[in-house]
Amino acid sequence: MASLWINQLLQGILLGGLYALFATGLSLAAGVMRFINIAHGDFIVLTCYVLLVLTTTLGLNPVVATLIVLPAAFLFGFGLQRFLLQRVVGENVLLVILVTFGLSIIIENGLLEGFGADPQKISGGWLETATVALGAGVNVGLFQVLTFIAAVLLVAALDLLLYRTGIGAKIRAVSDDVAAADLIGLSSVRLYAIAMGISFVTIGIAAGFMSIWTNFDPASGPTRLLIAFEVVVMGGLGSLWGSLAGGIVLGVAQSIGGQFDIAWQTMAGHIVFLIVLALRPQGLFPKY
Amino acid sequence: MTKESRSVGRRTMSRRRVLQGAAGGLAAASLPTLFRPAFAVPETVKIGLVGPRTGPLALFYEEMSWAIENAKKTTNNSITINGTKHPLEIVVKDSQSNPNRASEVAQELILKDKVHIVTTFATPETVNPVSDQCEINGMPCVSNDDPLESYFFGRKGDPKKPFEWTYNFFFNGAEAIGAPMSAWGRVKTNRKLGVLWANDDDGRTFARVMPPPIKKAGFTIVDPGRFDLPSSDYTPEISKFKAENVEVVFTVIPGPDFTIFWNQCAQQGYKPKIVTAGKVGEFPQGVYPYGSRAINFVCEVWWSRFHPFSSSLTGQSSRELADAYEKDAKQQASMGLGFRHSLLEVPIAALKLTQKLDDPASIRDAVRGNTFNTIVGPVDFRKGPLPNTSLTPLVAGQWRKGKKWPLELVIVDNKLAPNIPVGGEPEPMPYA
Repeated sequence: MASLWINQLLQGILLGGLYALFATGLSLAAGVMRFINIAHGDFIVLTCYVLLVLTTTLGLNPVVATLIVLPAAFLFGFGLQRFLLQRVVGENVLLVILVTFGLSIIIENGLLEGFGADPQKISGGWLETATVALGAGVNVGLFQVLTFIAAVLLVAALDLLLYRTGIGAKIRAVSDDVAAADLIGLSSVRLYAIAMGISFVTIGIAAGFMSIWTNFDPASGPTRLLIAFEVVVMGGLGSLWGSLAGGIVLGVAQSIGGQFDIAWQTMAGHIVFLIVLALRPQGLFPKY
Repeated sequence: MTKESRSVGRRTMSRRRVLQGAAGGLAAASLPTLFRPAFAVPETVKIGLVGPRTGPLALFYEEMSWAIENAKKTTNNSITINGTKHPLEIVVKDSQSNPNRASEVAQELILKDKVHIVTTFATPETVNPVSDQCEINGMPCVSNDDPLESYFFGRKGDPKKPFEWTYNFFFNGAEAIGAPMSAWGRVKTNRKLGVLWANDDDGRTFARVMPPPIKKAGFTIVDPGRFDLPSSDYTPEISKFKAENVEVVFTVIPGPDFTIFWNQCAQQGYKPKIVTAGKVGEFPQGVYPYGSRAINFVCEVWWSRFHPFSSSLTGQSSRELADAYEKDAKQQASMGLGFRHSLLEVPIAALKLTQKLDDPASIRDAVRGNTFNTIVGPVDFRKGPLPNTSLTPLVAGQWRKGKKWPLELVIVDNKLAPNIPVGGEPEPMPYA
């Protein structure tokens, strides 16, 4: 019986890796630019569809397709911030949120028009069923383990980038005080765009793993946003390692909740989120 | 698809009717209009068809276009009624997989295109609204691919006061569970049945209706409960099945969700002896993605190339129909093909038996007062089991490695319809 719960706990932790992937980009954008990209989940789903087209029409390997998409995602995020969102960044934070809300509606309906409402999934081949047996009835999927490793590496890489590099120092400076940073000659406009570009690279990575792990349809963006949002808030706004922790908490809550009663799977995650919010509104690892 | 109708009618009304008909329809080229005939030309007989050509149900339409072409070729776009040869036209409308839209286009067929009979198919979402619209407007309607209970009770039918105008032939709930269950029972298992019934219409209906017959057949049900779709994690369900030592698994979830479930089963080292994947396992396109991991999936079979019936329209046997389709379409015929074909077979046969073409009641009487020997078996709306319906036979099959196609369906159990020959015995999953 114990192995049953250990197994579920492990599944939950691994699921947390996927959730952390959803959340890191959102956490970064929220931490640096202090606004929430409502279309974050929809951009993940949009990228999934791009990967779907690349893998089905060009017959590319999903890994290759994801690698091709990443630089494009950076440029897209850079351009989106520089030419659209930058126009509304400023005193009124509601404006940016409204713009991203509009983007979310456009993406959802555009995808519905182009691909129809059918759920889609990208095939990961042999990787999908490969398993690591840990003995005593505890098995974990190899792909799930890889996803978790990717999440840890991504958070570590972003952490290094922000705290060990020059560009990271500049981004942090802009994040701390835009006016002062501009005053000493840093271009907040450019740094915001770079931060958004990085956020979109994480979206590309999240899409790569999500499109193989689960199915997606044009309307699945908001549920991804909800997960990412809960993870970011639980982990602490802007805290990257916090996002990983938040993802694991949410994944474990869902997995253990589902073990009690399957109807509680989704609900258990939301309840844990509300408990954390009530007891520690600043999140588990607050940065600000 | 709109093609101008070129037939010219006999009555003064006909000209306008033809123009209206041209607004939307799959019209068959009939008579040249270069000359206006000096004598009366027989009225064009129109069959209206509503089906989901686009949207989430579009998979059902897969073989319909071919079936229409096949019927047109055989009839040469004409039909003889009471010794008079009439031009025949099939007017097709897309429901877009939406019940409201289905109802709207059915109304269009009745009021604008002025068809003589309406046919429709593919789930209660299409069939029920179209049938309701026909019932209100006094239009004969023949349908299939809607389980009999969903058809009759879904439309709030009262067995004491049957519908007047609308008729449906397909299998019913008792058969749908009875046929696979008979196959499950013949493989040696501990008779523990794990079910995945989601928190959607089908899942809730199954959870309400299915347990009594399943228990009666001696199976113990392990039901983890209603879960929300889509789900990204089925390990709680799988660990429950493992803990309870479930050896037979019956899922009713869409393809992408089943993929996650089936992958996680492999990851978790869970190997049930029997798997029935409702919504996935019935169609070649549904099982192909799993390759050899789909071998010996059990499913209910409504029609196959092995069914010992032939078409009253084309004379083709089941095998000949399947071969003709596979030759033209270059893909494997699914069980849908027989029903798509019979959907045209019944109305055309009924029209041929009609006494007075311009009286809808006469067409209705031909529909409900005759037995039609179709490619899916005899259809007789006087027999039931419910009023307005006719039950078609159901057997169980398993997917096996095929010669012509990667996976082919083999009939393994015919307890409910012994006249359909079996091609093999039920076997447990191989797990190579």
